[in-house]
Amino acid sequence: MTDRLTSLREAIEAVLPNVDGVLALRIGPGGISASHLFSKEHPEDLAKLALWPKEPVPDTLKIILRAHPDAKLAIVCRGCEERGIVEMFKHAQLNLDNVTLIGLQCEQAEAEFCRCAKPFTVHSKTTVGQSIKGVPDPVTEKIAAMSQPERLAFWKQEFEHCIKCYGCRTICPQCFCNVCTLEDEKWVETGRLPMANPSMYHLIRAMHMTAKCVACRECEETCPADIPLAVQFRLMARDVKELFNYEAGAVMDQKPPQLLVLEEGDYERSGLPH
Amino acid sequence: MTTEPKIIGFLCNWCSYRGADGAGMARLKYPPNIKIIRVPCSGRVSPELVLRTFREGADGVMVLGCHIGDCHYSTGNHRTAKRMPLLKKLLEYTGIDSERLYINWVSAAEGEKFASVIRDFTEKISTLPPFRETMK
Repeated sequence: MTDRLTSLREAIEAVLPNVDGVLALRIGPGGISASHLFSKEHPEDLAKLALWPKEPVPDTLKIILRAHPDAKLAIVCRGCEERGIVEMFKHAQLNLDNVTLIGLQCEQAEAEFCRCAKPFTVHSKTTVGQSIKGVPDPVTEKIAAMSQPERLAFWKQEFEHCIKCYGCRTICPQCFCNVCTLEDEKWVETGRLPMANPSMYHLIRAMHMTAKCVACRECEETCPADIPLAVQFRLMARDVKELFNYEAGAVMDQKPPQLLVLEEGDYERSGLPH
Repeated sequence: MTTEPKIIGFLCNWCSYRGADGAGMARLKYPPNIKIIRVPCSGRVSPELVLRTFREGADGVMVLGCHIGDCHYSTGNHRTAKRMPLLKKLLEYTGIDSERLYINWVSAAEGEKFASVIRDFTEKISTLPPFRETMK
């Protein structure tokens, strides 16, 4: 851990003179790390640099860039956060010319905590730490192997715990619409808990996350009811890979399938009649 | 089965709705369980719309549009072809029978196909329990 921290500090120090600020985690007054903008004016802050826990840094980047579109920033990002930034770029949420990526490779324990299939960065020019292989995801496998009635019972029970705090929507790096469907009473019923089954909220969110979810698991982390939300997104991501050969955040100049017209091969794979 | 299944069909104005018209003109017989909603394009049918139709108590939902390449808006039905298979998968992952959602292409000249598609789908949905009951 110390090794990575030192090399990360060196990487930030190298980048700092060329940018307006570097977004990373620091140990705050309460002992909890939160994303912080390190700047040249306050180099002493770097002593409080931290690596873990994972915080939604891309979200902070998005907020800053909305207010200051011309700011030149660097960001310390893990594999998932980097994918989030790439997807945000693809959906015109930020300008990558103004963003320097510092890739932080996850360690085995961190990858296992996230059940992450890709705990490494691919686009960052500067990287810190050794990249490791992805780990299997037992929770997703367990739910994928269930029979249909079992799955129905499982999700019904999980969604009954949902208090509709909208935390998963708010923390998601890919939820950037100005007008959110989930706030529309036409689609998501208000004033009723537990939500009616099938849960419109979760199904709509899963549909909107298709080909966008970068598997960062921020939604699961933030969920006060511990619903394994990322499972549905991960299962859908497999289908997107199969149908459109698209992986969120993997290739910089591959357009997301939502924005494309279908090509012959894509259509045949969809399983629809001719 | 004692109760009749409730089926909602979203039909594209330019092909499938005309196809349904053709089926009527030709006096073809098909079950009366389907309630038809005319939409400008099958691409208009968002996943939200399908999900809410289920929430309101439909036992089956059909989305019928123009054949790929024949869309009045040239690529409107590409959206249907992209999102509906994924919505079917999502229903499956949530434990809902994905057979309850049906997508097909019916052109304005295919009255016969329209009637047979409705017959087959109604038959299939009749074998399933009512949607509301499975959700209890």
